[in-house]
Amino acid sequence: MAWVNQELRELTYPLLADFTKQVSKEYGVLLERLGAALRGTFLIGPDGLVRAYMVQDLTVGRSVDEILRLVSALATGKLCPAGWRPGEPFLPPLPKNTGE
Amino acid sequence: MTVQVNSPAPAFELSGVVGKKFQKVKLSDYKGKWVVLFFYPLDFTPI
Repeated sequence: MAWVNQELRELTYPLLADFTKQVSKEYGVLLERLGAALRGTFLIGPDGLVRAYMVQDLTVGRSVDEILRLVSALATGKLCPAGWRPGEPFLPPLPKNTGE
Repeated sequence: MTVQVNSPAPAFELSGVVGKKFQKVKLSDYKGKWVVLFFYPLDFTPI
């Protein structure tokens, strides 16, 4: 709490403690030898399904822009080409595979 | 990795800080919303 009050100030999202490391283990991001979690980011849809995840090593921070881009793209439910950004055109829907 | 894209995210319930209060948060509280769940190692390091 001191961390929130003195440094983080107005934290607009919940900050949770995975004290038993159970959750980081289940999500596959626990480094057992260090007892710490990798920088894992999981995008979970309104239906509770995992829609994307990224895990990088300890040395490199995340890109918030990329996370927001992915959520925006996933939330459209449309086909988004590589590097798609909000406002850009979608790809046309794939033709139904007739099996021929 | 036990987590797979297009599969249900593992449920959890953890205590933490929400605003200025301690409370329990579970993943299912966010049903119907997009969730960005992120893990970070070691407090006081850049996320």
